[in-house]
Amino acid sequence: MTSSLRAGVVIPTVAALKVAISLSGLPDLLRNDHQLSSPLTSFSQLQEGLYLFKHGIDPYSGGTFRHSPLLLALFSSVLPTSTLFAAVFWALSDAVAAWALVEIWRARQNVSSSTRDGLVALGYLANPYTILPSLALSTSTLENTLLLLAVMFAAQKKAAPSLLSLAFLSHLAPPAILIFPPLALLLLTDPHSHLASPQKLSLNKRRIFPLVLEFLIYAGALTFASTLVAGSWNWIPQTWGTWLTLPDLTPNPGLWWYFFTEMFDHFRPFFLMVFSMHLVIYVAPLCIKFQHDPLFALFILTGVLGIFKAYPTLSDPGLFLSMTAAFPEIFPYLRHPIVTSLLHLHAALLLPLFHHLWLTQGTGNANFFYASTLVFACANGAAVMDSLWAGMRIAIGKNTEDYGIVQE
Amino acid sequence: MKLAHLWGFIVLFNTSCLCRAQLSEYFNERLSIKPLKDGKIASTLTFTTVLKNGTPRDPGLLHTEDESQHYRLFPLALGQILREYGVTEMHLTLNAGKWNYDSWGQPAEAGVGNGAELWAWIGDGALARNALAGLFCSSLGSLDELRTTSPVEVFRPEGSLPSSSLHQLRHASHPSESVCTENLTPFIKLLPCKSSAGLASLLNPHKLFDANWHGMGVHVLWHEGEGVEVRLTFQTVSDPLRSSFIRKQDWSLESLFGRKVEKACRAAGSSHIQVALPRNTPYNISPQPTVAENDEALYDIQAVNKPINVAMQYMQEFQRQDLPSSATLSIQRTLKESSQSHGQLSVILRNHQPNPVQAIYLETMPWIVQFYLHTLTATVNDIPQPSVFSNLSYIPAIPHSRPTTFHVLLSIPANSTLRLTMDVTKAFLRYTEHPPDAQRGWDLPPAIIYPLDQPRMYTPTLLVDLATPDFSMPYNVIIFTCTLVAFIFGSIFNLLTRKFVVVSVALKGRD
Repeated sequence: MTSSLRAGVVIPTVAALKVAISLSGLPDLLRNDHQLSSPLTSFSQLQEGLYLFKHGIDPYSGGTFRHSPLLLALFSSVLPTSTLFAAVFWALSDAVAAWALVEIWRARQNVSSSTRDGLVALGYLANPYTILPSLALSTSTLENTLLLLAVMFAAQKKAAPSLLSLAFLSHLAPPAILIFPPLALLLLTDPHSHLASPQKLSLNKRRIFPLVLEFLIYAGALTFASTLVAGSWNWIPQTWGTWLTLPDLTPNPGLWWYFFTEMFDHFRPFFLMVFSMHLVIYVAPLCIKFQHDPLFALFILTGVLGIFKAYPTLSDPGLFLSMTAAFPEIFPYLRHPIVTSLLHLHAALLLPLFHHLWLTQGTGNANFFYASTLVFACANGAAVMDSLWAGMRIAIGKNTEDYGIVQE
Repeated sequence: MKLAHLWGFIVLFNTSCLCRAQLSEYFNERLSIKPLKDGKIASTLTFTTVLKNGTPRDPGLLHTEDESQHYRLFPLALGQILREYGVTEMHLTLNAGKWNYDSWGQPAEAGVGNGAELWAWIGDGALARNALAGLFCSSLGSLDELRTTSPVEVFRPEGSLPSSSLHQLRHASHPSESVCTENLTPFIKLLPCKSSAGLASLLNPHKLFDANWHGMGVHVLWHEGEGVEVRLTFQTVSDPLRSSFIRKQDWSLESLFGRKVEKACRAAGSSHIQVALPRNTPYNISPQPTVAENDEALYDIQAVNKPINVAMQYMQEFQRQDLPSSATLSIQRTLKESSQSHGQLSVILRNHQPNPVQAIYLETMPWIVQFYLHTLTATVNDIPQPSVFSNLSYIPAIPHSRPTTFHVLLSIPANSTLRLTMDVTKAFLRYTEHPPDAQRGWDLPPAIIYPLDQPRMYTPTLLVDLATPDFSMPYNVIIFTCTLVAFIFGSIFNLLTRKFVVVSVALKGRD
């Protein structure tokens, strides 16, 4: 009982602390930071869209407003947009995400509470990569919450809320649709850890179709509702189209922006296609390899998306790092955890420094920041490979003195 | 005898034909010279050609065969472009410098924005722009869809428009375009006497482009029932104090243009020099004007003895006085840039009148600077007052193509200062979209303040500093990023596809 209290204490405390920090004026400094919010998730852009929407100007008739019409409808009718309210709402969203992560952990362990609950919650709430975007009121925080909710409901075998969360998430950020296959597998199997005893999945494949259908119905309904709000179909190229055509080249910690800034014009469509399709490649192999543990496949896929998606913020790789808290069984088998941690430390210091040097100070150039995004991608790649190695290595058992493990 | 009668008849017939032909076109020229309160001299040369009863071509009939064009005075090179593209009204100005409304008052021609500005009521504008660029040797080709807007509230037709609804307004300005001799030469070619006679002989590039402010304009209007008018203008603001040892405002045609008017242009219907006479200070003007009344002296070039060199001499040294601004409004526009990604645009309007002024504030901003309208704030004498702006209209920019059109009606209370501020974000461009000297920054077109029922006013242009990528690295970036993607992809699939095996370390050691 005391242990479950710990999560119950940690989450509200950190959430309240976050509201207090928000009121100190720090968010105004962070709000326009490129690393914390992309043009697709920035709060300033959301406010701009709301302003246009309220003044009868179609925000999707051009311009740089790339948020979903549902967010417009939500913030212009139900939710007020004052900074105080936004701070509270974002802190609440973080609290819900942390609670969802704790629930995922509990479902994986098949317990109603454990002594690690508070730690798992802190793993999300105390992660600087998720705190800072949340303080900057980036809507990527809301996307993280939706993803964790979708996973939590799936782990609890609640298909409808899980698919609805995922539909809403992929409405806000279409690349998230890639986590549908592992999520569906999770709904059909169980969330418990089977990494140590991999076995072939025996599953009636027909049962997956109702899930697909249900997801499509939700996604269709959300699309239809968005069209009603926006008054036309203009919002689709302005929001979803952005992910594929990359019209906004604002810097972010990801790999796309500088690549397509420097891309030769005649190769642009080809590489846009390659970069978009590249994300799809990982889904099937991961689902096949980890068919015995779809939650782990989903976890790795989140890491891959965090590295390679089009408009990432720090919260995308941050989500992957926080989710590791729910998979403690892999910790003893991580391949090179020191190297990964040092790479992350390196990137975390370089990213803000070189961003400032380039854009504010004017003493560095774009290559400085680009180089630090490469280091950051290496760090995230190393983290994904660490986890992937550990997730497979765990099946072989503990190290013994006379034997080593290699890949053929 | 009969033959003589016949000849007489033929001559009579021919002269009557000639008379009619002469009536159908006429050409007037005028030079007006005005001293300004800061000691400078504004001079405006205006050459007007009117094609009597001419009508613009209907843009709807562009695909049909046009009537043949035959002009005596009307510039054929321009006429061909006007008819080819169905231009009804067109204004092209090429200026260099910042028009100082506070000291110089309203200009004789309203279009004084720095750089090139082209606006036309036209069927389809894209091709006419290239034809004009060719005619005037100017880079008007860069006035493409990235800069073209249609702010009809501010650029109303100055002449008449045919009732057909096919006419659209196309407006574009290009602040980094400069005006120089290569633009003046084709300008002079449009005049009937070129620069060999009449007032056009004063178009001396050495002096014109030496002036503190100079600008040329080509205006085409259609007045219903009257005809098509082509008005070529050249405005300069020169500084006589700059070159004189004694601080006197003295000027002459020689000092302003480096030339006298040697002979009159026979083709001109009227040819006048108009001099605004100074008040409250003794002066001497020579030669004797043809007419002098109401603080104005008038010379009829065709009547006076030539060569003529109008000269003004002041008895006293020039005294700089702190006079109140001679314009309705004083305008200031600045862009504060805290970083290469964000900034704040602010416009300060001072109303010097004892009565409130209503004015339209128009921004036609290229997409590289995007507005955050939700941060738009207005203060009057530093007190927030959001009610001063109304009728807000906003067409957001489309990245990599359409510019922003933003206009708002401001009511500026009497004797007060209105300050508008708005946050802006600056775009990040593809490396191919940057100009060759990317680090210099981008010139932003002037904003236009249009006090209702008065000529429009232009703010100075702005320079915006955009973040630049490294231009030497496209290959390197493609290689680095692709390598990293391939490395992570390869490592992941390496792990996923290869089998784990247990090997005996002890055995290995023995080998």
